[in-house]
Amino acid sequence: MGNCLKINSSDDISLLRGSESVHRQNSGPLPMFQNEQYQQIFFPSPSTSIGHAPIAGHSQLSEEDQVKIAKRIGLMQHLPIGTYDGSSKKSRECVICMAEFCVDEAVRYLPCMHIYHVKCIDDWLMRSLTCPSCLEPVDAALLTSYETT
Amino acid sequence: MTAMSPSERRLHKELMSLIKEPPPGVTVDTESVQQNLSEWKLNIKGFEGTLYDGEDFQLLFKFNNKYPFDSPEVTFIGNNIPVHPHVYSNGHICLSILTEDWSPALSVQSVCLSIASMLSSCREKKRPPDNALYVKTCNKNPKKTKWWYHDDSV
Repeated sequence: MGNCLKINSSDDISLLRGSESVHRQNSGPLPMFQNEQYQQIFFPSPSTSIGHAPIAGHSQLSEEDQVKIAKRIGLMQHLPIGTYDGSSKKSRECVICMAEFCVDEAVRYLPCMHIYHVKCIDDWLMRSLTCPSCLEPVDAALLTSYETT
Repeated sequence: MTAMSPSERRLHKELMSLIKEPPPGVTVDTESVQQNLSEWKLNIKGFEGTLYDGEDFQLLFKFNNKYPFDSPEVTFIGNNIPVHPHVYSNGHICLSILTEDWSPALSVQSVCLSIASMLSSCREKKRPPDNALYVKTCNKNPKKTKWWYHDDSV
């Protein structure tokens, strides 16, 4: 989890912040960087993976959309990223791009334990917060995992 | 081969596996695909023992550059459009995985299987009740239609 896009706020995402198993990144940016962080959230750079996230290329988003995107990205940050170690018997290929995983490639784990290339799944999650394979809603599962831990 | 976009790469992979191991009754019109990777014509046979036994249909798949994040546009084309409660006489298909229930884990193959199963489970050959009005007023692109999925029986 490289860039931290989390902002201290009282939105529903903050409910998830206690779940240690899911994230251990730094908790919010320093105040002096806050504007920069906002920029990053509201105008993410166009995606370079398959297709484009719906946000790409639109610099004039309504405030409501900007908040939606920021929340979405914040939520996605709670989904752990790992590297593919080749031992996973379940999935050998990313069903989104249909390419086989390479050892040490960055993969994102969804709560249902389905894995995808980070770029592939992030493009999809910006459109729909569901697992492409089992259609489980990602946000609901995140909240549940918080409640049970 | 020059650099393909991720969307083209995936289409290429799907095409190869569809040619190698096509689902039952499905064949790819390779000539159409060679001309344009974003428009595929597929032939699909009505299964034995169903109302469409012995019939041949043609499907047109159109992909945009956001595939597989965007669903393909799928219609029946040609002079034999199956008479089915979910297929309009202009070839538009009312099938939820083609719009709101689409997932990038689905593929041309899984769409073909869904359509084949939709045809196979049909018990009475008839057009949708609103066929005449829909065909007169709809957009050319079925993805622009706000479908109302209400019938899970066929």
